[in-house]
Amino acid sequence: MLRVLWNEMKKIWTWKMLGLLFIVNLILFFLVIEFEIEYFPNGRPELDSYRIGMEMIEKYGIEMDEEDIADFKQVYEAQVTEADRYLQARSEFVEVGWDTYEKYRAYDPFEHPEERKEELDFQLMHEEQVDLFWELQERERLIEFHDWKEVGLESIIADSPEPQKTRYVELLENRMFQLYPEVAIRNFDRFIEGVAATILISVLLVVSPIYLQDRNRRLLDLQYTTEKGRALYRTKVLAGTLSSFWVVTGLLAVYFVIYAQNKTSPYFDVPIHMFIGKEYWYDPTFFQYIVLCTIGIYVLSFVFVFLAMGFSTIMPNYVALIGIQIPLVIWMIGDGFNRLLTGMIDLWTAKWMVPTVYIVFVIVSVGVMVYLSKREKKRDISM
Amino acid sequence: MIVLKDVSKRYGDFTALHDINLEFTNGLYGLLAPNGAGKTTMIKMLATLMRPSGGEILYDGKDIFQMEETYRTLLGYLPQQFGFYKNYSPKQYLLYLAALKGIGKKEALVKIEELLEKVALPDVMNKKMKKFSGGMIQRVGIAQALLNDPKVLILDEPTAGLDPKERARFRHLLSELGRDRLVLVSTHIVSDIESIANEIVMIKNRQILYKDSVEKICQTLEGHVYETSIKYEELDAFRNRAILLSEKQEQGNTIVRFIHKGKPDVAWLPVTPQLEDVFLYEYRDDVDGEV
Repeated sequence: MLRVLWNEMKKIWTWKMLGLLFIVNLILFFLVIEFEIEYFPNGRPELDSYRIGMEMIEKYGIEMDEEDIADFKQVYEAQVTEADRYLQARSEFVEVGWDTYEKYRAYDPFEHPEERKEELDFQLMHEEQVDLFWELQERERLIEFHDWKEVGLESIIADSPEPQKTRYVELLENRMFQLYPEVAIRNFDRFIEGVAATILISVLLVVSPIYLQDRNRRLLDLQYTTEKGRALYRTKVLAGTLSSFWVVTGLLAVYFVIYAQNKTSPYFDVPIHMFIGKEYWYDPTFFQYIVLCTIGIYVLSFVFVFLAMGFSTIMPNYVALIGIQIPLVIWMIGDGFNRLLTGMIDLWTAKWMVPTVYIVFVIVSVGVMVYLSKREKKRDISM
Repeated sequence: MIVLKDVSKRYGDFTALHDINLEFTNGLYGLLAPNGAGKTTMIKMLATLMRPSGGEILYDGKDIFQMEETYRTLLGYLPQQFGFYKNYSPKQYLLYLAALKGIGKKEALVKIEELLEKVALPDVMNKKMKKFSGGMIQRVGIAQALLNDPKVLILDEPTAGLDPKERARFRHLLSELGRDRLVLVSTHIVSDIESIANEIVMIKNRQILYKDSVEKICQTLEGHVYETSIKYEELDAFRNRAILLSEKQEQGNTIVRFIHKGKPDVAWLPVTPQLEDVFLYEYRDDVDGEV
């Protein structure tokens, strides 16, 4: 049994396949993953957002109470004073009337545009890139979020339908407010969607030929008349599943090692409802959310692996085999992963939707393989 | 012993075989019929690749489809066309199939060496099969069928691609194998089996026409096969009088071999019927069609 399984694995893991996997991963890495590593945090104010977030976690831990908020505001005030001093020390800023940060901030380039002020603003923010002024913007955004959190939630509750309303009430009652910058989690969302797409294409490449190649080569007559016989079909399912497990695990390991360069681990213990932006049905930490996405990738990969093996059983040739899978892959990459992976527990996706889709996917894919396996036991091998 | 009881095979509305009843014991059987007569269908049913639409196939009284791997362990099979992995050597390929046949690796290695010797391929044991000729591939196919020392050996058109020397070697191998097991060879080449088969099975109109020894089958045409020499211009007219089996040119004339069931001409030389005569006579429409 093990020797037969090993032989089937060897048939899958040819040098040609390894080379193909390497090339495909290299291309997809640079197309859909590399950007999220190379350009994280992506410019400003994202860089400042990331830095302030790190500082918040270091200083206040994963949850901020009122005392922490007060401290955060104090830091802001101190930075404002520092900004005042900075501006006052620069005659060109004083000349245009920007001798305090408040005055600088009050400038409205749309209502009352002034060329000199435009030049100085550009110089301060983009040419000199003074960290202080970028950070102040981000701190203001976070403080604003905090100050408006209850009012914001209350107004959302008033406009929300059930069952979202219940969840919002729960968030309000338990004082589960959004306080931390979202830069890390949004970056992870985009990264993991790219990784999922790469893994999906990789596993489909590995398992798609599994039945078609032996059938096209007319090997079934010989294989099915041996002692092993048609049970070989199930061994190939096992070989395909194990191979896919290796591919998924191997690629996840490689890409997570690469992801470690983003240094987002300080955020791992932060509950995801604390990040500004999306609301969720549940309250996992960022790390638990990563684990959840990883499990999602395994489940979705196996679903598509089973479907691919099913197509490999029934499709007459490689063109048809690729053709039937293209729409599914395009849908998964274009929309599926967004809904089924990073949107798995999104508040604005019905709570039952994603688990139901997963259950249906699993039942259909396993059902297809069980049906085809039973059919293979009885069907006439005419070609 | 294999018994086919009222076996039929239908593909939708088309009936390939109808109410076949046969018994095979140890020995060499030749399944002889033109292409498309249902030989491969029968062979595939005996190899459990196809299920009969009606009737049953029994091995020692048990349904071969219910016996599952117990039957397949006894089976050696060479299909008419079979696949291989181009980058495998015969040794790798046979090891792959040996694993499927449940043969341990050590035992298989010894057996593979012995069999490749038998089919005259020991020198290319480790060479990739993608460089092999059709005949060499066929010989690897024959070797794989013998890997598990089968009690039932079924060979579908086994001599395809073999040169005359290899055919002769193969015939010798077959008669040796047929001594202590059931060997069924399907072919449309009469000379492959005429001299070695214990019995010949002929299929016609989806049913068994003959299952008998070569001698007995030939007796069915006893006294009706003749040879004579005629002028080439007379050939067309002669075709209307007799069933021509063969013709060859000799010293400006045509020597014809033919069947005539009426009163013979004095110039005609009666000859002993051969299996090929019966084949050509019984399948004259199919054979003409093939030509």
